[in-house]
Amino acid sequence: MLKIVNLEAGYGPMQVLWKISLNAEEGNVTALLGPNGAGKSTTLMSTLGSIKPWGGEIYFEGKDVTTLPSHKKVEMGMTLVPEGRHVFPNLTVRENILMGAYTKRASKLMKESLDLIYTLFPILKERPGQKAGTLSGGQQQMLTIARSLMTRPKFLMLDEPSQGLAPKLVGEVFETIQKVQSDMGLTVLLVEQNVDITLEVAKYVYILHEGTIKAEGTSDTIKHSEDVRVAYLGI
Amino acid sequence: MNKGKYYPLFVAIGIFLVLFIFGKFAQGMWEPVALIMFYVAVGEAFNVFLGFTGYVNFGYVVFMGLGSYGMALVVSSSSMAGLGPWILIPGFLFAAIMAGILAAGVGAIALRLRGAYFAIATIGVNQGVKFFIEGAKIWGGSEGIIISKPLKVALGPHLANAVTTFWADFLVFMIAILAAVITIVFLHTRLGYGLIALREDEDAARVMGVNTTKYKNIAFLVSSILAALVGATAWCLKTTYVFPDDVFALSYTVDAIVIVMMGGTGTLLGPVVGGLIYGILKYWLGILLPGFQLLILAPFIIIIIILFPEGIVGVLKKRVRGKKLEKFIA
Repeated sequence: MLKIVNLEAGYGPMQVLWKISLNAEEGNVTALLGPNGAGKSTTLMSTLGSIKPWGGEIYFEGKDVTTLPSHKKVEMGMTLVPEGRHVFPNLTVRENILMGAYTKRASKLMKESLDLIYTLFPILKERPGQKAGTLSGGQQQMLTIARSLMTRPKFLMLDEPSQGLAPKLVGEVFETIQKVQSDMGLTVLLVEQNVDITLEVAKYVYILHEGTIKAEGTSDTIKHSEDVRVAYLGI
Repeated sequence: MNKGKYYPLFVAIGIFLVLFIFGKFAQGMWEPVALIMFYVAVGEAFNVFLGFTGYVNFGYVVFMGLGSYGMALVVSSSSMAGLGPWILIPGFLFAAIMAGILAAGVGAIALRLRGAYFAIATIGVNQGVKFFIEGAKIWGGSEGIIISKPLKVALGPHLANAVTTFWADFLVFMIAILAAVITIVFLHTRLGYGLIALREDEDAARVMGVNTTKYKNIAFLVSSILAALVGATAWCLKTTYVFPDDVFALSYTVDAIVIVMMGGTGTLLGPVVGGLIYGILKYWLGILLPGFQLLILAPFIIIIIILFPEGIVGVLKKRVRGKKLEKFIA
């Protein structure tokens, strides 16, 4: 579904990604693991077009989308749940969710998407009029995921959804992600630092370190590869 | 949900109408009413950008200034004198075009910056344009342009007099209404929703598929052109001269910020209420306690901002939620 070939990107004079290639297979969860500063977020942001790639190609459903601006990619069915909790703080929960249906394609499916979201996230149905900024951390993370689903993506990128959450909530968020993924038949590219839970959820894993892909394989292979675990995952 | 979505606009126009009638028929009230309307128009135009994007444009006055230059250049050009009163139409067009070109250029570059960086970049634009006009000695340099004579030639002495004493102020009313109409349209369209989302969180708006760059530029352009129309009318036509020191004075940007913040950013009625309070205070404090007006105005504004952190209309909007009045306040 998504194929990245020799992607290079950076900020100003500083190059962050050095010819990375990866493949997110349709209907699966693919994960990108690595320490701080490895280039995980940069990979996601250049895939969506928030930053311009310096080189390489990005293919979405076989089409070259390397230089397309983000809003066009969202219209095509890609989206990203950015790192940190990017809710619209002064809008209500309901307004936040409805903003997700912003693109023309998504707004046509808005009613149907809303029913779907409310069954998946009952907590959001309970407090439609509450300001999003006053939700708890876990609820805000749920809201950003719900809102991204309103864009009706085929391909969803998640940037460290476990960040800053209590361990119990991390479990809940990942359960939700898994449920959503299988219910909606999504293709997911997950960026994480939480190794254990990622290896549980993902089918295929890439290890990113210092801007290059150091290892890749199915979750089981990575789990059992002594070298990879010691060198890059610290477990 | 959308029923009566334009009601707040009627509230605003109602306030304008009351002001107009009061100014026209109460003895000696036209001058203060014109000043109040000037501030309302300045606020409404500024709010189209600040209210919807959250970006503070410190260079706002440069567009008012360019607008007044645009009008002055057209009125004073001898080739257009034959148009008679119609000369005001190319005047407004030229004012809008000049401001529009600068806004497109500045927006394309400065709107890549966010928050405070954008604010700093825009201060430079105002000073740059002013010093360029003075230094390069174009358009009369530091001596500016005086249009009282060509205005009389084009319109005839009688009409020229009526323009400076009445019609210029009347046009400011019209521009304020235009800005209010644009605001309410923004509030209820896709463009407006996209802008509100980007004001709340630009990164999140982008992953929802909002073309943030384009929308920011549109809001900036519209706000700048409205500012140019205000400048062309309230300055050039009313005073019949354009001096760079007057029309590029940063204090007008500060006025705009205060009016919008006091009234409520991103609301339709905020700049109306803010402009009313600000205009009334400024005018009467200047008469009652000349020299002391800033000493009183400043703490008063601070108190209002403490009592109404989201602006008067912003707080009011919360109070009336779920009540009958709700649909009249926006």
